[in-house]
Amino acid sequence: MHDAGSPHRGNSVRFAIDTGGTFTDLIVDRGGSLHLFKAFTTPDDPVEGVLDVLAVAADGLGLSRSELLAEGSLLIHGTTRAINALVTGGTARTAFLTTAGHPDILLFREGGRAEPFNFKVPYPEPLVPRALTFEMPGRIAADGTEVEELDELAVRRVIAELREAEVEAVAVALLWSIVEPSHELRVAELLTRLMPGVPFTLSHLLNPTLREYRRASSTCIDAALKPLMSGYLSSLRQRLHEAGFGGRLLIATSQGGMLDAEDVAAAPIHSINSGPSMAPVAGRHYAASEAGADTVIVADAGGTTFDISVVRNGLIPRTRETWIGPVHQGHITGFPSVDVKSIGAGGGSIAWVDDGGLLRVGPRSAGSQPGPACYRRGGNEPTLTDACLALGYLDPDFFLGGSMRLDTAAARAAIERAVATPLALSVEDSAAAIVRIATEGMVHAIEEVTVHQGIDPRGSVLVGGGGAAGLNLVAIARRLGCARVLIPETGAALSAAGALITDLSSDFTVTHFTSTEEFDFEGVATALDTVARQAQEFALAAPGSSTAVEFSVEARYPRQNWEIEVPLPVERIETEADLAALADSFHSAHEQLFAIREEESPVEVVSWRARARCALPGDVEQTVASGSGRDVPLASRRVWANRVGWVDAEVVAMDSLRPGSYVAGPAIVESSFTTVVVDPGTRGTRSAAGHLSIEIEDES
Amino acid sequence: MTVAATDPGVLERRPADPVELAVVANRLKAIVRRMSNTLYRTGRSGVLNTARDFSCAIITADDRLLMAADSLPIHVLSGPDLMSAAMRELHPELRAGDAFLHNSPYHGNSHPADHSLLVPVVVADGTHQFTVLVKAHQADCGNALPTTYMGTAVDVYAEGALIFPVVKVQTDYSDHADVIRMCEMRLRVPEQWRGDYLAMVGAARIGEREMLALAEELGTDSLQRLAEEWFDYSEQRMVNAVRQLPAGSAVAETTHDPYPGAPDGIPVAAAVEVRPQEARVTIDLRENPDSYPCGLNLSEACARTAAMIGLFNSLPEEVPTNAGSFRRIDVQLREGCVVGVPRHPTSTSVATTNVADRVTAAVQLAIASLGEGHGMAEAGGFGAPTAAVISGRDQRAGGAPFVNQLFLVLSGGPGNPHNDGWLTLCHAGNGGMLYVDSVEVDELAFPILIRTQRIAADTEGAGRRRGAPSVEAEYGPLVGELTVIYAGDGHVNPALGAAGGERGATSRQERRDAAGELHPLEGQGAATLGAGESIVVFTAAGGGYGPPHTREVERICHDVAEGWVSRKRAASVYGVAIDGDGELDRAATARRREELTR
Repeated sequence: MHDAGSPHRGNSVRFAIDTGGTFTDLIVDRGGSLHLFKAFTTPDDPVEGVLDVLAVAADGLGLSRSELLAEGSLLIHGTTRAINALVTGGTARTAFLTTAGHPDILLFREGGRAEPFNFKVPYPEPLVPRALTFEMPGRIAADGTEVEELDELAVRRVIAELREAEVEAVAVALLWSIVEPSHELRVAELLTRLMPGVPFTLSHLLNPTLREYRRASSTCIDAALKPLMSGYLSSLRQRLHEAGFGGRLLIATSQGGMLDAEDVAAAPIHSINSGPSMAPVAGRHYAASEAGADTVIVADAGGTTFDISVVRNGLIPRTRETWIGPVHQGHITGFPSVDVKSIGAGGGSIAWVDDGGLLRVGPRSAGSQPGPACYRRGGNEPTLTDACLALGYLDPDFFLGGSMRLDTAAARAAIERAVATPLALSVEDSAAAIVRIATEGMVHAIEEVTVHQGIDPRGSVLVGGGGAAGLNLVAIARRLGCARVLIPETGAALSAAGALITDLSSDFTVTHFTSTEEFDFEGVATALDTVARQAQEFALAAPGSSTAVEFSVEARYPRQNWEIEVPLPVERIETEADLAALADSFHSAHEQLFAIREEESPVEVVSWRARARCALPGDVEQTVASGSGRDVPLASRRVWANRVGWVDAEVVAMDSLRPGSYVAGPAIVESSFTTVVVDPGTRGTRSAAGHLSIEIEDES
Repeated sequence: MTVAATDPGVLERRPADPVELAVVANRLKAIVRRMSNTLYRTGRSGVLNTARDFSCAIITADDRLLMAADSLPIHVLSGPDLMSAAMRELHPELRAGDAFLHNSPYHGNSHPADHSLLVPVVVADGTHQFTVLVKAHQADCGNALPTTYMGTAVDVYAEGALIFPVVKVQTDYSDHADVIRMCEMRLRVPEQWRGDYLAMVGAARIGEREMLALAEELGTDSLQRLAEEWFDYSEQRMVNAVRQLPAGSAVAETTHDPYPGAPDGIPVAAAVEVRPQEARVTIDLRENPDSYPCGLNLSEACARTAAMIGLFNSLPEEVPTNAGSFRRIDVQLREGCVVGVPRHPTSTSVATTNVADRVTAAVQLAIASLGEGHGMAEAGGFGAPTAAVISGRDQRAGGAPFVNQLFLVLSGGPGNPHNDGWLTLCHAGNGGMLYVDSVEVDELAFPILIRTQRIAADTEGAGRRRGAPSVEAEYGPLVGELTVIYAGDGHVNPALGAAGGERGATSRQERRDAAGELHPLEGQGAATLGAGESIVVFTAAGGGYGPPHTREVERICHDVAEGWVSRKRAASVYGVAIDGDGELDRAATARRREELTR
């Protein structure tokens, strides 16, 4: 720990920079004292936004940018570069090499359709066009035997075609390469020799998982990102270096960990969910340190999306089914990632009345351009932000710390026209209804990831981040029966905060099928040894850190198709007792999720996983340095309170609320980057660490 | 005919409290989704845990469909209502903890291979408030042959399936072991069935629990009032949609392929009358032949539903599917008709697919004939061997028997006013809701090798919006023998086009012997494949919508570049000339299109 006020000699400062859709957030950790900064994201050259926010920080700390950067030992970066390129089609010209007879894996996907009677949605295009899909003669069977050998002449002919077609990246995903990779490896040798310098990805190395569509999709996404991401990351490294940074550059991953920039350049698919995956990491940390809760719901509310994740028993939630775009119509990443559900509900969501007379909010969003009506930037449809302004939740003169003025009259006019008149309601009732519908949408989305997964949200802690979370989080918590709401001091930059907390981590998986009925002790020992060794090697490459390795399995009942991930209660399975512990762990997990426990049934295990987590040195018990708030004493203003109507609410600046003191609702707590509505009957307490905690009373 | 766009002025009836109604509708939807998720994640047969061939619904105590999860349409428009009525008639006293197993097509179920579980939601005061329904296609239902589609059965006795006309299977939340044992004696691979049954019970009980919690939270009176408001709201949405359809009456006809018991094929006609002023639609299926001595006859549930699917497919906007919107539809059926109300022991083994899909097609073709920009073409016929029931003994597992339905790709999507045909539609009654099998998962689960699965160029029903092309697939045993049973349509009678669109390619299948020679196979039947042999399948393509020469040139260029349509066909059928370098010849295109217009 540094003494307060002492100069920062050497390089001990850590930076976390999260590039979002609108803002680039920076948290600077100088000896346990955290400083929050924001600058606009620069989509055309995001490195510029990174350098800008560092300049803003240097300015705020009274240093030059090079002085500030010279203090840095570590810079952790969350970036939407990869996801943006995928969504906007800015990735490399990529070829897909598949097993002969199966060129349409990416076209057929796994079937499925969202709405049976809606023929207005077109059938989606494949991730890689058919014109750039090439069939490799050669076939491996499910047990690894070679049914047909690889036709090398044909492979050479295809590579000549790839060169002709000026392909910039190649994805190789052959059937059953996860069991016998020899064909993929041979194709790789030929690519290296005949197309030097063109990056490629092999499916069995990138993502050794069953189901060809998922594996092929991951492989193609990864290959398509390689030229772009290696270029971006080397540009970032070089320009940071030129600006004076000599420390280690880490990238936040979709899996909620971080990897060295070089490792991400080699497998850039891991950076798809780079920013949002950090929110649950932060949420878990704050909820554990503040409330000791087992179930933590983390909600990150921005301008266009509401991102939700659920942390249970201290475990970050993970999913295998992450889609870029809508489920069944987008592209599956095929990778486990931090399970962050995103719905189109944010401050910019547009309220409208459908032709049956029902009020709807979203999914259309005004985004930041043209933005809500109250921005006066061309938007004239009412949004959730407009409703919050009309209800007095937002201060028109102190939006984003006063850097932008909001027009209440424009907000009211938009609500009047689009909602109040058609529904014959007052503007206030309409605005309250908009907030309520939006709240219901958010509640429903949270229920999807809690109740539908067998998780009871009652009694949990709801952690809010992002600029818009505070507006209706208390209302959401009430609907769900949560015990309390926690708004961390770094809430406005939750992902960046998570990046400062997270571990260096990586997953290693071996697919090896066995059943508890005829358990393959020997094969499993080999599988576990393999992943354990890989995890250890990964840890050795991360010097100066403490390491933990967690083992888990993907298992199911016989004939089930969908495995569930279950932590391995023992490190090795050598005895019948070890095996019984594994089975019991599965039965309990299955019952918890699906209300069915089949005690007498054998359990099938499909894959074995080790996750290495290396905690980097650094103090996580930081506090945010005060400043940036407004110093003028605040009085009160009229706000519309749920189930009460107009009330005079106390308005309190976050900075003026001393640790341990509280404010009783109805009240508004404001800081530069966020506004929290404290409903009547609840009270917000500033904790010792500086966070705002709101207890929800039991209504029954 | 053009129709005015939606105008806020057409609102007639509004929900009393739109916010409260939206909240409750979302809650009901969340409940059926949660039921579906449980079934999907925990089911044991591929039919459930891969293909998702099931549905979950909530019905009012007086037999009206309140909410169904987004699932295959043939399951959940009509059927839940009829089954609920049969349950109340046969079991006037309903108690908490009851559950009923139901698969009788003579009592409202779709066909015997769909096992339904009905659980009455009985609140604390003992009153029956709602019923939750789980319906799941079984991997096996005890038919005489290892298939759930006994197309050749002359009657229900020849099918051989166990029929459960709303049989009580649980009292006080415990199984009646007698019924379970009957199933275990008659259904192939009983432990698979038992796992699926457990998954169904789990899903139904979760639905019951959630409905009880909702009733407790809101009070039963409020919940019932909101249910009525949801019906009224849905009816209003239907009124608004039907008003945008063209007025008039039309009859359209299509024909199912010849079949044992129906050697001349089965003609299906639908007379559709649309009255936008009254916002009502009548579909008359009574002018159709009597039942046939085969398994293709429809159950009442499937006849009603197939007709309604044709209408819902043709609505200009999304309308909630429940008893409220159904008030505006009148489907007229005749007892003893192949597409009507079957008399016992008429077989309805294949009621959910083949002839039902022809009914759907006739309805949407009739609507297409009423006005440009309405209705849609016909979907490709169902039942190609990419969706066969396969069985045999797995030599890799000591000769253990296996049976399951494959769900490789069945394409078939019809061209429609908005888009090209949906590639993985499966069949009309499915609407593309099923998932497609993973080749690797199938090859792991069964001793088979899937050699090919790809789209077949130049097979699409040409049109301004083209039908989905055929899919070519080839598979066979990896070791041992493989029995493949299928009941196909679309070999003789292709999917028809609409509004000037053309027919889709017909389906066909062949046996490839160990020497590589191809031998044609019948449109329905069973094939046993030995070592080194395989079955080669071309599925039926969807029909096109609108004249092919009006298809946008850019779309044709894309079709050619991507290998959906050859350059030759682009020129001859679509009138678009593309040279060997893939460049568009504008002058030749203009000339050719001029010719085609004449």
